[in-house]
Amino acid sequence: MSVMSLPRLQHIVASGCVALVGIWVAYLSYTQQPSEAFLFPRLISSVFVVLALWTFAKACLGWTKVGAGVSVHAFVNMLPGLLIAIVYIFWGAKALGFYTATAIAFFVLLSLYDPAPHGQIKSWGKRVLITTGFMGVMYGLFALLLKVYTPREVLF
Amino acid sequence: MEFIFYFGDVFTPVNFALLLVGTIGGLILGATPGLSPTMAVALLIPFTFQLEATQGLILLGAAYTSTVAGGAVSAILLKIPGAPANIATTLDGHTMAQNGQGTKALQLSFLSSAVGGIFGVMLLIFLTPVLAQWALAFGPSHLFWLAILGVTVIGTLDSKSVVKGLLSGCIGLWLATIGFDDIMGAQRFIFHDALGGGINIIAALIGLFAIPQVISMFAKGRRGDGAEVMQVQKHSVFEAIRVLFRFPRALGIGMSTGAIIGLIPGVGGQIAGLVAYDQTKKFSPEREKFGKGHPEGVVAAEAANNAMVGPSLVPLLTLSIPGSPTAAVLLGGLLIHGIFPGSDLFDNHPDVAWTFINSMLIGQVLMCLFGLYVAGVAARVAQVPQSVMAAVVLGLAVFGSYSVQSSMGDVYVMAALGIMMYFLERFGFSAAPLVLGLILGPIAEANFIQGSMIANATDGLGPYFLGGALNLFLIAVVIASVAYSAWMEVRNRRYLSKEEILV
Amino acid sequence: MKKLLAGAAIALMGLTAPVLADDAYPERPVMMMVSYGAGGATDFQARIVTMTSGNEDALGMPIAILNKPGAGGRVGWNWLATQAEADGYTLGAYNVPHFIAQSIKGGVSYDIDSFEPIANWGADPAVLVVGADSAFNSLQDVVDFAKANPGKLTTSGAGLFVGHHIAALQMEKAGDMKIAYIPTKGGGAAAMKAVIAGEVMAGINNLSDAFRAREAGNVKILAVADLERNAFLPDVPTMMESGLDVDNASVNFRGVMVPKGTPQPIIDKLAETVPAMFENSRVQGKMKSGGSPMHVMTREEVQAMWAQRQETLTALLAGL
Repeated sequence: MSVMSLPRLQHIVASGCVALVGIWVAYLSYTQQPSEAFLFPRLISSVFVVLALWTFAKACLGWTKVGAGVSVHAFVNMLPGLLIAIVYIFWGAKALGFYTATAIAFFVLLSLYDPAPHGQIKSWGKRVLITTGFMGVMYGLFALLLKVYTPREVLF
Repeated sequence: MEFIFYFGDVFTPVNFALLLVGTIGGLILGATPGLSPTMAVALLIPFTFQLEATQGLILLGAAYTSTVAGGAVSAILLKIPGAPANIATTLDGHTMAQNGQGTKALQLSFLSSAVGGIFGVMLLIFLTPVLAQWALAFGPSHLFWLAILGVTVIGTLDSKSVVKGLLSGCIGLWLATIGFDDIMGAQRFIFHDALGGGINIIAALIGLFAIPQVISMFAKGRRGDGAEVMQVQKHSVFEAIRVLFRFPRALGIGMSTGAIIGLIPGVGGQIAGLVAYDQTKKFSPEREKFGKGHPEGVVAAEAANNAMVGPSLVPLLTLSIPGSPTAAVLLGGLLIHGIFPGSDLFDNHPDVAWTFINSMLIGQVLMCLFGLYVAGVAARVAQVPQSVMAAVVLGLAVFGSYSVQSSMGDVYVMAALGIMMYFLERFGFSAAPLVLGLILGPIAEANFIQGSMIANATDGLGPYFLGGALNLFLIAVVIASVAYSAWMEVRNRRYLSKEEILV
Repeated sequence: MKKLLAGAAIALMGLTAPVLADDAYPERPVMMMVSYGAGGATDFQARIVTMTSGNEDALGMPIAILNKPGAGGRVGWNWLATQAEADGYTLGAYNVPHFIAQSIKGGVSYDIDSFEPIANWGADPAVLVVGADSAFNSLQDVVDFAKANPGKLTTSGAGLFVGHHIAALQMEKAGDMKIAYIPTKGGGAAAMKAVIAGEVMAGINNLSDAFRAREAGNVKILAVADLERNAFLPDVPTMMESGLDVDNASVNFRGVMVPKGTPQPIIDKLAETVPAMFENSRVQGKMKSGGSPMHVMTREEVQAMWAQRQETLTALLAGL
């Protein structure tokens, strides 16, 4: 590979991130107190750093053999779903209550990725039906059967 | 042979009904993401308050056996391992389901669970006194070496690159140190409140396996291809039995590994499946097929999981020491009826003891029959369109990880680890070694520290960790495992250098 | 379906029944955090003592147990002090002297002022155990060995700054000796296993677990770290009787508390109903058959006990 290909660049960035985490973990392990509690982390992080730097070096030299990276096309496809999932998990679930947030996120994701045309009334009906069914199962399983008390802000 | 006299007790109407409820309920609970066998059995304890001792234990025993097997269902169909025990099952099982062989995978998993499970309970029945001594033989130094043996497995487990496998393992080992350290009580790497309690293993499992899968489905975009057009192949039970016995090696390695590891208090069944999977892969002539939907992998992992159930109760029933968290919960089930495990149990309440053990035996068979019955239907989950599947798995992941200990922090950890894992996977890292590191880290660390404390008070580090037949044997196995991995790496490199393989 | 409807109808009636403001609590199931894993002694006892809370003469609502294990209880109590909602629906189980000793030692976000005690259900003294085939037959044998071989007597216990460790520290102080205290990761069960398997020479463990292990023929119990002999073990002398000046500071008191900030009327209501719930004959029967000593104390008694422990432990841990 003579030209810096996209996967190769990505590999350099990814393994660089892992190496940075490794260095940071090692730094903390060797500096934090009480030192006897960090004996094991020091051991792990030393091996971690060596392996991470090795991988990083291999990526820079273009010797990486496994992992295809993320194509632009795939990234564009996943971005909306990923963002919705992040908003749902890190904000919605707590702020709106589990069942409300899950119902909304479920329906939006379904509508977003369902190959059925968005123009048809019928396909929307189907989506509402699937969402209702899923929520029914979740409520039955977790709230009624297992009695898990999830955060409930809006509705139930 | 005493146990045969008590078989009749299992078949009284009430007892048998409880056995059925426990088995079917256990399968459902086991298949629920976030509900480990330990939690499932703990949930059932209040019901046993109302029952007689024998009946209560039948319910708990049946639930224990079938939750372990039930975990395979979500592992195969949704790629969410119900418990650490089912991690290895996802590796080949889920791939099989994606290829339309879900029925076959489920059938094989239930069959090998039953075969392994019955083997395990038989060991419990016949060899308990011998096994109890074996269980006690493992002290801190041995457990430390055992954990190290597990670490050496990391490199060869489900990874195309040994270095990246080891690096994934290191990340897992590090993640395991987050939180309060168990012995000193010092706080380590807590940079967010959600990490105060450390990383919960069940929540981490859900995140590391389920979330990358959800994101890959997103990445495919709005497409009609893939799952929709896929046919779920029909697969007869007899055919499945024939396939099962085509892999006697996998079955044998699975059962023996599961039974041996299940016996050791403190390690429990968490790593039995993974170690058995790795061993089977190393001994198999078709090792390159592993991880790509090879039935042998499912057989080895599930046989190991259920073979560990019987032996894991040996320390509890004979020595009154619960060897695993689930055994500890079962201990509670005995104590509320005033029955103390140990000689008291077998001498004064033989009806309770043997009915309990028999119910686990019958429970295995019932679990298998019921599982085989639903396998064909359950495998249709693979036909669910990707858009629906992604949303379902995401929802289940959130609810499942929350329900582990009613903690929002676990959900955040689950999601963060999951998103990280997706990108890592795209660059050749894999989840299985990472999880193995996460499981082994605390075992290795605690036993090393405890062992070195004992060693410092007695004969010093060297003799303590390196002396004794069992230590030497374990060290030899560790060396053999490392040498084997290195040899494989060299061989693979020769093979890889012919053409650049970018998977 | 009929059952479901009937259930819904009952639930509705429950909601619409005329209630006074204070009596409205609890309107939904209550959660009790246990800072040890499922199956541990605290978890097991917590499940038994709360089993009748759904009865009309108790809370009228079930109490669900939530396990938050880790680091000798620190994880759970930290969570209760900092993250749990103080609305009366989150209770916690306490273990004294564990949480008090940990708060004195530092590194955690709680102390006795972070919580409001409700009632105490059990008192489990620490005992000294040795393997059934051990050469030690009395506390005196152990003390003699420890004095002759400073720092060589390996003694297992459930962790650092829990009752077992406190007992070990008190023994060291009283006997002017040095023992090698080995904290285990898996709690009391793992510490007991270490004794039975001969990995350590002696162990300090819960009376309830040791009683069971002795019934199974695995250990000898040499002494109880309490002020008087225990009803479960009338033949085992106290440490004081055996000449080691160790009081009851290490006795593991287990009970219910709530995070600070819980409304006073709810605390009052709990303080009134919970001790009565512990006195229930079914609870008492199950606890007795499980070999768990009960010791019911009211809110005022627990407050006094906490304050007194705080003082003793501060003095004991000052030198460390």
